[in-house]
Amino acid sequence: MSKILKPQGGVLLADSRPASSPSQSGSPAAEPAQSARPKRWAMLVDQRRCIGCHSCTIACKSENNVPLGFWRSWVKGIQKGNFPDVGNFFLRRLCNHCDVPPCCQVCPVQATARRDEDGVVVMYYGKCIGCGMCIAACPYDARFFNPIRNTADKCDFCVERIDKGLQPACVEACPSRALVFGDMDDPKSELFQRLASLPTTVIKPELGTHPKVFYVAAEKSLKGRISYSDDFKEQILEYHKHIPSPDESYWKEGGKE
Amino acid sequence: MDTSVLYNVPHEIPWKVYIPLYFYFTGLSAGSFILSSLSTVFGIKRFKPMALPAAIISFLLLLLAPACLILDLRQPFRFWHTLVPQYFNSTSALSYGSWLLTVYPIANLVYIYYIFVKNDRITRILGMFTVPLAIFVHAYTGFAFALVRARAWWHSALMPGYFLTSALLSGIALLVVVALIMDRWRKEPLEAALFRDLRLMMVGILLMDLFWNGSFWLTLLVSTADGYVSILYAFHEKLYVWGELVSGMLIPLAILVLPKTRDDRIWLCVASLLIIGGVFLMRYSVVFIGFEIPLS
Repeated sequence: MSKILKPQGGVLLADSRPASSPSQSGSPAAEPAQSARPKRWAMLVDQRRCIGCHSCTIACKSENNVPLGFWRSWVKGIQKGNFPDVGNFFLRRLCNHCDVPPCCQVCPVQATARRDEDGVVVMYYGKCIGCGMCIAACPYDARFFNPIRNTADKCDFCVERIDKGLQPACVEACPSRALVFGDMDDPKSELFQRLASLPTTVIKPELGTHPKVFYVAAEKSLKGRISYSDDFKEQILEYHKHIPSPDESYWKEGGKE
Repeated sequence: MDTSVLYNVPHEIPWKVYIPLYFYFTGLSAGSFILSSLSTVFGIKRFKPMALPAAIISFLLLLLAPACLILDLRQPFRFWHTLVPQYFNSTSALSYGSWLLTVYPIANLVYIYYIFVKNDRITRILGMFTVPLAIFVHAYTGFAFALVRARAWWHSALMPGYFLTSALLSGIALLVVVALIMDRWRKEPLEAALFRDLRLMMVGILLMDLFWNGSFWLTLLVSTADGYVSILYAFHEKLYVWGELVSGMLIPLAILVLPKTRDDRIWLCVASLLIIGGVFLMRYSVVFIGFEIPLS
């Protein structure tokens, strides 16, 4: 049944095992068999609930020890409408853990891979040569060079925590419970039920990456695109005005003025 | 309705100038190698004096190219990871490229040896295997860009072809400069017909490059929002318009075509130098205009 209700089709899921083995017929004692079943971790970001407090950003930075001036996940502030009808929106950005990840496609040394057992796109820091191809290829700009580790780095759904059965740090920190994390393939999970009952969307679905981070009430105008005026030169200026682009010294000094 | 971004996190551009330099050096190398093979493999006797210098230049540039690539790595001492068979990624152009970059210089060196000892038969056989390698070693860089679906400026089927023709162009231009220098010191001067052939080849490839550029503009102008913004950005980028297009393509083309300047050696040298510079700017703009379009 879970197959039918899968919202994004599940193109790459290597599900060679039968969907329900006899040992896992609902009894809580069948824990080992449960963990053997491939999971598909996913996240739902409910923009209706997000209040823009940036707790997830801070929790992520302290959990994963992300260096100053770099973010694995962040919140993008978006303003829509003309005065007096203006609305503020917060787009929580993180690695989308694509089912067809463009970063894994281009990595020359398989230093980043989509784990078969749970669909999380992880980094193997010891293999990474730091060529930057994955950073260039990520359609969501979710990757960056970690200046201390000197390899590519990204959100990995707090993989050490979820392997131990905990929630990712951002989900635990969210005060308005706008983030829901869970197994997309488990019909009993809260995430599954929300995905089945709410209208959700993903960022840049046209690229066919099949992201596993879903957004509620994220409309077309929130897909990281900006509208333009009719004048060519002004369009470029507009485009840049809205995007804070610190110069090189900012990145070297970590934001110290 | 107006939508504006209040704040966001942009990430640093991962690549430095070494990457366009690397594309430039492999392009020059592949171009000069193909020129060298014209006499040894395809039997065009007129290019015979160019065969050895072209192959040697091609080999020397191949030593520079991987050095640039390794310098750009954040973990330069792990470059050998790309050659570990267990780490090979069959969907990654870079995986194939690192093997090509290892095999091609070796094949090139053996080829140079047989030109040097003047063994025409073995040179011909070796050349037949090394020419495809030279083509692939540069075409893969085009594929490395063409296979990135995230960036509209790169994600084009024309990219490998454009990279190959401009590689050939820069290779010929470099060889013209080398031939002009050689001509000064050689006992018997090079034929005028050699220079005429090289000039005609440059004109042909310049026209082809302009055709590629026109195709890029037209397709990007009616492309997605990202593609549209990237072509607008390119048109407002002085390095692209004045550097790559005007001084790298249109002025050399005029010099090579106009009857007043086309038979003059000094003008030929000027046009070749402009082309050599213009092809570097082409690599540079391909890489960095792609990064100007924010994705987050």
